[in-house]
Parts: sequence; C-alpha cells; structure tokens
Amino acid sequence: MEREQAEPPSFNRRSLLQAMAASLALAAANGRRAEADERALPYVNAPEYVVPGKPKWYATSVRFAGYLQPVLGKSIAGRPVKLEGNDQHPATGGATDLFMQAALLGLYDPERSQVPLHLGQPATWEAFDTDVFRRTAEIDRAQGGGFRLLTGAVSSPTLLRQIGDLRKRWPKMRWHVTEPIKEDARLAATNRVLGRPLQMLPDFSAAATVVSLDDDFLGPGPRQAMQARAWSKRQPRLFVAEPTPSATGTRAGDRLIVPSARVQILAQAIAGAAGVGGAAPAELAAHEKKWVDDAVAALGKGDGLVTVGAQYDEALHALVLLINERLGAFGKALRFTDPILAAPPDGKDSLGVLVDDMKAGRVTTLLILEAEPVQATPAALDFRSALEKVAFSVHAGLYADATANACHWHVPVQHELESWTDGRAPDGTAAIVQPLIRPFLNVRSPHVVLDRWRGGSASDHDLVQASWQTGWQEALLAGFVADSAPAAVTPTLIDRTISLPDPPSSDGLVVEARPDATQWDGRYGHNSWLQETPKPLIQVTWGNVVRVSPALARERALSNGDEVRLRFGNRELLGAAWIMPGQEAHTVVIGTPDAFAFLDSWRQAGVRLEKTGKTRVIASSQPIQDMGEFDYVRTVESAEEAAAQHKDDVSFYPPRKWDSPSWGMSIDLDRCIGCNACSVACMAENNVPVVGAELVAQGRQMYWLRIDHYTEGEPDAPRHHFQPVPCMHCEQAPCEMGCPVNAAVHSPDGLNLQVYNRCIGTRTCSAYCPYKVRRFNWFEYTGHDPDSIRAMRNPDVTVRSRGVMEKCTYCIQRISGARIAAKIAGRPIRDGEVVTACQQACPTEAIVFGDVTDPDSAVSRRKAGPRNYSLIEDANTRPRTTYLARVRK
Amino acid sequence: MSDIAPSARDFRTVTDEIVDISLDYPDRKAWWLCFIPALLLLMSFFISVTMLFSYGVGVWGNNIPVGWGLAISNYIFFLGIGHAGTLISALLLLLAQHWRNSLNRFAEAMTLFAVICGGLYPLVHLGRPWLFYWMAPYPNTMTVWPQFKSPLTWDFFAVLTYLIVSILFWYIGIVPDLASARDRATRRRYQVFFGLFALGWRGSARHWARWRQSYRLTAAIAVPLVVSVHSEISMLFAAGPIAGWNSTVFPPYFVAGAAFSGFAVVSMIAVVLRHALGLRNLVTSRHLDLLAKLTLLTGMMTAYGYWAEVFDTLYGSDPQELETLRDRLVGVYAWSYWGAVFFNFVPLQLLWWYRVRTNPVLLFLIGLSCVVGMWMERYMLLVTTLYRDWLVSSWQRYHPSFWDWSLFAGMLGVFFTLFLLFVRFLPVISAFEIKEAMFEEKEERKEAGRA
Amino acid sequence: MHEPGPDQRVFGLVAEFNRPERLIDAVRRTREAGFERVDAHSPFPIEGLAEELGFHDQRVPWFTLLGGIVGAGLGYWMQVYTNHAFPLDIGNRPLVAPPAFMLITFELLVLGAVLFSIVSMLGFNHLPRLNHPLFEVDSFRLASTDKFFLVVLSNDPKFDPRHTRAFLHSLDPVRVDLIGQTEEPE
Repeated sequence: MEREQAEPPSFNRRSLLQAMAASLALAAANGRRAEADERALPYVNAPEYVVPGKPKWYATSVRFAGYLQPVLGKSIAGRPVKLEGNDQHPATGGATDLFMQAALLGLYDPERSQVPLHLGQPATWEAFDTDVFRRTAEIDRAQGGGFRLLTGAVSSPTLLRQIGDLRKRWPKMRWHVTEPIKEDARLAATNRVLGRPLQMLPDFSAAATVVSLDDDFLGPGPRQAMQARAWSKRQPRLFVAEPTPSATGTRAGDRLIVPSARVQILAQAIAGAAGVGGAAPAELAAHEKKWVDDAVAALGKGDGLVTVGAQYDEALHALVLLINERLGAFGKALRFTDPILAAPPDGKDSLGVLVDDMKAGRVTTLLILEAEPVQATPAALDFRSALEKVAFSVHAGLYADATANACHWHVPVQHELESWTDGRAPDGTAAIVQPLIRPFLNVRSPHVVLDRWRGGSASDHDLVQASWQTGWQEALLAGFVADSAPAAVTPTLIDRTISLPDPPSSDGLVVEARPDATQWDGRYGHNSWLQETPKPLIQVTWGNVVRVSPALARERALSNGDEVRLRFGNRELLGAAWIMPGQEAHTVVIGTPDAFAFLDSWRQAGVRLEKTGKTRVIASSQPIQDMGEFDYVRTVESAEEAAAQHKDDVSFYPPRKWDSPSWGMSIDLDRCIGCNACSVACMAENNVPVVGAELVAQGRQMYWLRIDHYTEGEPDAPRHHFQPVPCMHCEQAPCEMGCPVNAAVHSPDGLNLQVYNRCIGTRTCSAYCPYKVRRFNWFEYTGHDPDSIRAMRNPDVTVRSRGVMEKCTYCIQRISGARIAAKIAGRPIRDGEVVTACQQACPTEAIVFGDVTDPDSAVSRRKAGPRNYSLIEDANTRPRTTYLARVRK
Repeated sequence: MSDIAPSARDFRTVTDEIVDISLDYPDRKAWWLCFIPALLLLMSFFISVTMLFSYGVGVWGNNIPVGWGLAISNYIFFLGIGHAGTLISALLLLLAQHWRNSLNRFAEAMTLFAVICGGLYPLVHLGRPWLFYWMAPYPNTMTVWPQFKSPLTWDFFAVLTYLIVSILFWYIGIVPDLASARDRATRRRYQVFFGLFALGWRGSARHWARWRQSYRLTAAIAVPLVVSVHSEISMLFAAGPIAGWNSTVFPPYFVAGAAFSGFAVVSMIAVVLRHALGLRNLVTSRHLDLLAKLTLLTGMMTAYGYWAEVFDTLYGSDPQELETLRDRLVGVYAWSYWGAVFFNFVPLQLLWWYRVRTNPVLLFLIGLSCVVGMWMERYMLLVTTLYRDWLVSSWQRYHPSFWDWSLFAGMLGVFFTLFLLFVRFLPVISAFEIKEAMFEEKEERKEAGRA
Repeated sequence: MHEPGPDQRVFGLVAEFNRPERLIDAVRRTREAGFERVDAHSPFPIEGLAEELGFHDQRVPWFTLLGGIVGAGLGYWMQVYTNHAFPLDIGNRPLVAPPAFMLITFELLVLGAVLFSIVSMLGFNHLPRLNHPLFEVDSFRLASTDKFFLVVLSNDPKFDPRHTRAFLHSLDPVRVDLIGQTEEPE
C-alpha cells in the first residue's frame, strides 16, 4: 500500500481505488478475506457504505437437481451467514426446504475441493488450461467428434446457450444428461396422452381432494417447498395409498398400506369408477375397496386431483392423466407448461447412450460438469469401467469425489453463493443467481470452465449477463425474472386408450428404493448439517438403514440395528435393519445412494433378506417412536373440538400479569410435514454445532429444534405424527428453579434465557426439563472449527464453548433486532415483525410466533382456537410454545 | 453395660493398645500391602480427573436425557455412607451409650473421608469445574448472586456445612488423644506433629468441662444436620418435576438409606480394624452385635421406604409415575432395582440371628452386600428416572464409560488412602472416652454395690 | 482463672494421684481447706470435677446459641438481600420464597452454632497454648494416660510454698512437685 501511495500524484481517486481493490483481491486470494462481489446488487436497498454489523440481503437462488430454489441471502460484513426463503417469489412465497437451508454450509465446507487435480496430484489452472487448449485443437480437427459433455439436469439459459455455442463450433459433439432421480415417466405420459412432453404442475391449493398413489409430493425433492406451501393453503382432503410411510402419507386422513404392485390396480379401480375407458376391472380386497370408494366419493365432490409417484411407469401416469382429465382437473388443480428442464438430446436414456459410446471407444474426450455418474448411477451401467476407455476425461465439481478420482483432471468449481449463474425455479420462473461473496478459493464458475473449451476468457458475470439483455437489475433486486414462467398450456387429449401392462411381480420381498430425505441422490454426503439431520420418519442420522416392516421383523426376529444382507442376483447390500411401523409387510425400503449400487430400478421383487448376526450402532436421534398411551400429539375429531384437558391452571401463586410484548409460539401439528427445514434453519441461524454419528448415537445431538416422530396405535398400521419441539419457554420453568448460579432466568418479555457465560454446567436444568430441549456442550465443539466454518457463523449469536448448556432462544437476536428498529422508529414492535428462523423456513407455515399479550396478534388468535393445547400439561410448566391438535380427517 | 471393654484391665493398657498404634505401627507390611493398591487407585483418580478436565464431561457416558450419571449417584452414595459416622458418634453420645466409644473415632473419620469423596464428585462433574466457586455468594463484578431457590445451592451449603462440622467434631474429639500421643511420643517428628495438633491440651478439669459443653452441643446439632443434609440431597431429585423423583417420600427414604449404608460400612470397617490392629479387646463381639442390629434396623426402615415409594406411586396413579415404576420393575434397568432389593434386604435378614451378628466374616459380607445394594439403589433412582422421562422421544439409554468407572475406582482410592493414613498415624479409637466409660461404670458398680 | 504472671518465680505446686477417686477426694479437701486457685488434670473428663473446683461457666452454651442465631439470621438475610440486590424472575417464583430459603437458613444456623461453640470453647480455655509450665513437670507426661494431678497456683491467696506442700502431702499423693515459671518477665 505504501508503494502505491508513493506513486506520482497523477493517480486519480478512481485508479487508486482500483489499485487498492487489486491488493485486496490478492489478500482475498491468499488470506480468505471475505468480501462481497461489488457487482452484485443487494436486495431492495443498496447502501453506499458497508455498516459493520448491519446485514445486507441479496435475492438469489441456490441450485438443486437442475432447478433453482429462490432464497434471500443474509450477508454480514461481506460474509453470507443465512439463507431464507424469498417471500416475493411466485412459486415458493418464502417457503424453504432443508437442502436450501443447508446450501450455506456447502459454500464454507472445508472439505470442498480447492485446487485442480491432475491424476490425483495437485496442479495449477494454467496447466489445465494448457492441456485443454492442446485438446481443443484435436477436437477442432474432428469437428467435435469424440467430444462429449455430461451435465446434470439443466435449466440455466446461460449454460444452454453455451452448450448451443459449443455445438455450433463442434457439430459432432454430443451432450448428455444424468440426473439420478428424475421424472421421465411423467413427461413420457404427457407425450403419449397429450401429444407432446409437458411439465405437470399440480396445484394443491386448488384441490379439495387429493388422491396420492404412492406419490410423496410433500416429501423431499426440488418441488417440496413449492408444493408444501400450496398444500398448506387449503389442506385438501388427502387419500394416500403407499407401501411405506411418507411425509404425504402422514398427512393423509385415509392412508392405505398396499404393496406397490397394487397401486396400479387401485388406479384402475378409480379409473373405472371415474368412467375412464380402457381400464380393466380390478379385484380389490375389502379394505382397498373401502378406500377406493371413499376416495372416489370425495373426488366426486369436485376439485379432485389424483397423483402417482414418479417411480411408476409411463402407462400408469397416462391412466392417471385420463382420470384427472375426467375429474376436470386440467387447468385447475393440474396445470401444464412446456418442460422446465432442458430435454437431453437422447431422451431419457441419455446416459445409457453415453456409456455405450464410451465402451465402444467412440468417446475420446469427456467433460463432466457437476455430475457424479460413478456413484449416483445404477451399478449395471458400470460407468467407472466405461470411463477408463476415455482418453481424456475432466471432472469439474465442488468435491474431489469418486468421479473426480476416476477422471484425468478434476477442477474445482465455484459454489452458487460465490458465482453468477441463472436457471429456473420448479414452476419455471427464471432467476439470476448472484454471488454473495467473492470466491475465497482458487475456483472457477462452471460457466467459465465450459467457456475455456470454446477458447473464451469471459467471466461468469459477463457470460450470465449476456443471456439477460433486459431487466437485469430488476431481476437481481427481486431475485427472479418477473413473469418468466413458461405460459400455461391447455392440452387436448389425443390418446384415450391406455393398455396397462400386467402388475409387476411381487414374489418374495419387494425392495423399494427411495430418495434419501437428507442426502437426496448422495450429493449432500459432505454436508454435515444434512448428515446430522434425522431422516424424517426413521430419525436416523449419518447413514441409511434398511427399513423393514414390523411383520417382517417379527417373522425374521429382527430388531433395530441388526445387520441384514439383501441379495438379488449376484448383488448384495449390507445394511442395518430398522423397523418402520406402517410399512407394508413384504416391502423392504432402502435409500439412495445405497440403492444405486444394488438396484437398477426403483423397485425390485424377489429379493432375499438374511440376518448376518452382527449388530450395528445406529445414530438415531430418537430410538423410541411409539407414543404408547401418551397424548403428546393430540387428535381431535373436528376442528371445533377442544384439545386441551385442563382449563384451570392450578398454582399456589397469584396469576402473573405479563407486560407487552411477551413472546410465544404456536405450532400447527396438522401442517407439519416433518421436512426438517426448520431444524436446519435453526442450526444455521444459531451456530448449532454438528457432533457426528458417534455422539448422536450416545444421545448428545445438539439440535435446538428437533422434530419428534411418533406412531400411534398398532405398529402394522399406525397413525404417524410429527412434532417440532423447540424450547417451550415455560412461564413456570423448572430449569430456572434448578440452576444454582442464575444462568437460567426469565426475561421480562417472557423468554426463558440461558446465560452461557454464567453457566457452570451442573446440568440440573436439563435434568428438570420435562421436554429435554436443553443441549449440553460435552466437549469443545466449536473451538477447533476450521476458519471457513468460523466465517460462516452468525455474528449475532454467541458461540458456545465446552461445558455450558444451550437451547432454543426463540431467536432472541431477531427479537432484539426488531426491538432496536422499533425503538429507533419510536413505535411498538409490529405483529409479524419478529420472524424466527424456524418460522421463516417452514414451507407449510406451521409455526407462528408473536406477542401473546396482544389478543389480535396472529399467535394469540391461533392460541385462542379450540385445537390449542400444551405439551405435558400435567407438569404445570405453562409453556409459551403450544400446539394445535391434529384433526382426524 | 458391664462388658463394653472386658479385657481392658486399666487405663494404661487402653492407651497402650490404641495410641501406640500411631507411634509404632504393629504390622507395617500389611499396611503397605493395603496402601500401595490404595495409592494405585489414587493414581487412577488423578488420571481420570486430568482426562476429565482436559476433554470435558463428554469422556463420561452422560447424555441428554441422562445428564447426570455415575457422578451424582456416587455423590449420594458416598455422602449417605458418611452419615452413619455422625449418627453413631453424635446420637449415641447424647443417648449416653458407652459402647459407641469403641467405634466413634473411625466412624467419624469414615464420615469425613466419605464426605470429601462425595463432595469432590459434584465439583468435578461440572461442565466448567474451574468456576465452581460461582456457587458461593461473594460480591463480584457480575453483581450476580447464587440462586437460592435451587436445590443445588441448598446442597452446596449443606455439604459444606456438613464437611466443616464433621471436621470440627472429629477434631475436637481427637485432641485429647493427640495430647496422649504427644506425651508418649519419643521421636522428635512425632512430638512436633502431635504437639502442634494437640493444641497444648493438658486435661484441665475446666477445659474438660467446656470441652464437654461444646462437644455435646455440637453432637446435638449434628443429628438434625445429618437429617437435613440428606433430605436436601434427596431434594436434588425430589424438587424436579420428573416422574420417579417428584415424591415427598424421598427425604426420609434417603436419610434411612444413608444411615443404613453407613452402618453397613462401619460394620465392615470394625471387623477389619479389630482384626488388623488387634483391637479385639476394645471392639468386642458385642459391638459387632450392636452394629448389626443398627444395620438391620435402618435396613428395615429403608425397606419400608421402598414399599412406601411403590405404594405412593400406585396410590397416586399418575400415568407417568406408573410407567416409571413399571419400567423400574421390568425395564432394561430392572437389574438395578432387583439388585438393590436383593443385596439390600435378602442377606440382611440373616442378622436376625445372634450368631450371624457376632460372626465377623458373615457380618462383613452382609455389610458388603448392603453397600452394593445401596449403590445400586442410587444408580437405579438416578438412571431409571432420567433415561425415560416425560417424552418418549427423549428416551435414551445410559452406559457409563471407562472414565466413569476409573473415576469411581479413583474415588475409592481417595477414600482408602485417607483412611489408611488415618489408621497409620492417628488414634483409631477414642482412648480417653473408653477410660471415661471404664471409670463411670466402676462408679456405677460401686453405687449398685452400696445400694 | 488467672494464672500466676511471669513475675512470680514459682508457678505452683502439683500433686500426683494414681486413681481418679483420689483426685476427686483431694480436690474436695483442697477446696475445703480454702484454696481458690486450684486446678485438676485428668486423662479423661470426670463428671462433676470442674464444679468441685468452682466452675460455673455457661458462656460456651450461650455462645453456641448466639452462633446459631447469627448464622440463621445471616443466612436468611443473605438470601433476601441478594434476591433484592439483583431481582431475577426464576420460574415465576416469588422473589422472596421463605420455604425455599429455610434450608440454607438452617444449614447456616448449624454452622454458626458449631463454629461459635468450638471457637468459644477454645478461646475460654486459652487454647491453643503449646507451652505451659506444667509441661516442665516430668511426671505430667502421664496426665494424658493414667495419672491424675492437682495443681495449686502460686497466686492463690493462701499459697505458701512450704505450708501448701505440706498440705498436699497430707492428701496422700504419689508425689508433690514444684512447678517452676517458664516464661520470662517482660
């Protein structure tokens, strides 16, 4: 700096600033200096100067399975610290899912790949560029022959434009797409019935009755936030038939447990009742018939919608399309648009074509852009050995994963929170992704990586901006391009004759593969927040299990943790058994990515299961899920029925008058789909440490907000409940009474506080807590964190050290922020001004927070309803967090 | 009361037998054979505590919900044992039971060391043990005081008071015997050691009179103190709203159990000491008989506590309490419940027979059984309550880790090391009180003869 | 009881007895003979002996009571004061909760009483005092074992080295010794 200032005074202010910026950029490259990209536009207001401690919000998106998930990124001092839903977005309206919440950790993950690797050895970008340049000369000569590009699903206009440009230059090159969890059957069915491939967009807020045939539309996936938000608006009458419990199944008033082979027969029965021709009459068991009759009767009342799981074949989807057409759902509860994800040139078998070509030696150069075909593709393809036949293979991705190791080159790419890109949300609305931070690693944007093959040298910003000639600034400020969703298509039926194949075989045990609720296709294996998040319904963290039915467990004398071997053909899969109440007797469920190595499809009959005799320790956050005789989750017959038992609060002491504001929370158990978005949001917001599988297995998980899963009734066909449990902020808190050093005290605004620096770790508060929401720092969990994890922490929340107790604070930092803002403005805090992290994250708006002393606040109105009740009223703790009971139908 | 010390012929023999043990220990080899293992255990204590302080409480098996584990159950166990010493010493002094004089010194020493062990546990179990003094009220820059409505603060004061009172009571009781050792010591370092700690005691009648006033008053206060201390420790459990703890039966139940385990330990020590130090003249089979009777009595009171606790639960018929009770009887930790019932009460029944009571080996074994049983009871009360509390979702098993056990072993090392040093260097039996009893009984006989 | 000051050459006379009954007898006779500054030493407390010597001091019990009152008062005051000094809402309990405060009040009552009792006992006994003229008497070593001693101090109004020694001999002791003054006059 001194040298620069010593230069002749001809330097004007601007060039001096440029010089300073250059030196800062150098510092950033060397010293991981966090700095916002100055070309990114902060959300709504763009302050001229950075105010230390004052957060800036940027509207952007994170990517998931080819789609964009709209987010607002909170950046403090140039560091992104939290992602929240974009409440202006037409698709999600602010809803989030756990993957969206956890994307933040992906940016800071210390395991991210940081340097290019050549044959596994660290190399430089220059060496890579030289190698590529040499290669492109050869490809030029062959006009692209032998050059292949493999990507994941793509919705990015810029990437599509780049690929198009590349194909113009190299007409013989081919582009392939691998997306392990996909919806090809739906597109194929629309193609068959409606004449062209169309994206189906069910609108659950427009349906009065939804019949789901093993379709987990509320479960994990790119459309979870969007669909769950829509569902929660109307909460239609829900009929679900499925072989294993799903988030959607738990919300169903009528849940039918059937093997997946029966799903087609149920569809045929509904089709027959709905008057769709061509459906063969099906024989139904009594309980199936009752379910179908009830479902048909409910559908008949109007606004009906039938959905079927993406894993079922094209013919079944076609049949369901016919049913929906007959129900009048087209254009209302079921809308269509042109496909949102770009269709790969070779159709749904894009990857198979590539592998065949690789094996045949027709591929000389392969560029894999952000895909993981080695692990996340069916083992039968044997991508790895095909890859060995490729002369020059390059993998560009965030992690040096199995594919990276199998390629000649691996180059690290930028995370979407530090680069420019674009794409479309699941409803088709386009958005521009802007960086919240300048890259702090020596990494390139995928766009830039691809551009170099074309000999270009543009930056990611320029590449993306070239795709958006107009409305750039507006799109950056809003977080999406207004009205950019493809127009709704009103299709006409061209084919009413559906001949269904025979129902698939259900010999022996049927293994169903399901997308992993926290790992998806395995792409989040590095994300410790997601690893530590319990998979809904099984409450298992860090790794997957083999879900068996209670009946099978009885038959084979299995208990949780018994190691089992699944055999099919010459393949086998070892896993720990986990008894899943409510699972069909002869169905065994495994999750991705384990399933890729074992199965070639989502369903396989005739699998044998045997006990190995060993047991495995399962890191379960909730070993016991049977609610037994207790009434933690209450169910009422109708929404008008009272759920609480004790109306008179008994106390020795005179009733206390609370001053306004006094905070409270209401959680609607009917809305909760157990998705864990709130839980991950809480981890991000409150710097909650991750402890690892071993400690979770010992019962030392740190979640401030956990989602309990309970089964009620017979294990073979129970009702499933989710119950988010944050701190109850009891008015008569036993924990406070137990603390000898005044570390647990009550605030005047009704919060149960935990004063970390006062805590000496007697753990009395936890022993006395009836809800066991308190978490203890058994070891030093935070002090040894890598620098990047430290950079990620929310500076408004104290980082806890060893030996202190911690727990949910109702996001006291947000309350404090709102109070300061209100004081500056000289007004009271408005209702809805304080939004807790969990409340913001919730896709179904199950959580409402606010001032309980104000009878007009949203939370007070909810609590005044008949369904309101306190968890464990008998303990007489007067919780501020209360629940709304479930309604039976 | 004619046979408190039948073989103690005169005052000098009493002093010879007791005080000379300190000045010239009879069987040094045997002592070292005990002391070296005790030192090894003590080493385990220091290693375990170093480990604990370096890495945190996580080295133990504790979790949420079982945030308290072996540390707190052992804390109650050790303090419970301690109470018998005070009861024997203070209660029997007030009741003028002369036979106590052969037992009170080592019983009090046992109390002292058990309280030290018990008191160490809650200190080391803290998440941040270096801040333990925040429990004490002192003006500080944070201007925050301890929270006096917390059972832990009550415990802090109770244990501290109990420790101080136990030390003082034991010390003023031993001063005349230290004077005796001082007067008999021939080696310089013994003279200096005993000379300093005897405080210049010279047996003046006026001194004795004031000493007696003070000693008896302290004894009179110590008895309710014992009751209050263990009642407060029971509050640690009973004040919480957790099913299985939240019971008014707990204070008397704990006090009875504490006395029971303590008498069992005193019986064991009596058997060992009279054998090891050749004190059969002073600790006679009549003493064993009386100790056994006390153990039996308090044991049956404890059994009544068990019954009352079960009855209380059934009578209250709260579903959570019933579930906890059911789980104690048939759940995964049923071994601790039935183990406690068996070891506490089954061998105990043998003590109805005089022959068993006066058989040192049997008495020792029964005492050991009671100690094991009471340990299991503490473990059972703590773990079975916490591991299945209100919400099914928080239920989680508890397994003590290696470092839990090594600290327990180490704490036994602290106890044995201190006790062996006491046996080696201090008069283990109150010589002057035995002499006093001999004199008074002679006077009584004279009175009787005259009548 | 005042002991002779260092200005007196002789501290007193000591008579040794080998049985407690004889000491009791001797004390009674010495008192009857009009000696006032008399002390007796025995290896164990002998009921009533101090009263024979004219001991009627009840200060230790009173101090014990005082200690109890001070301890309990301080204990309760401490809890009330600290709760007012930094008022905190603890589980919606009243700021001053007498039932909860009783336990510590009781503990401090006990602590106060015992501390006052023992400290006052030592204080009134002028202990610790590691050196004393009596320790210069050779046979006094046995005072803690099985010998009993009667001491007449030299500042007794009736004290006369010759006559008193004769009187003591009349009590049939094992022996009578002169206790020299060990402390230097200031």
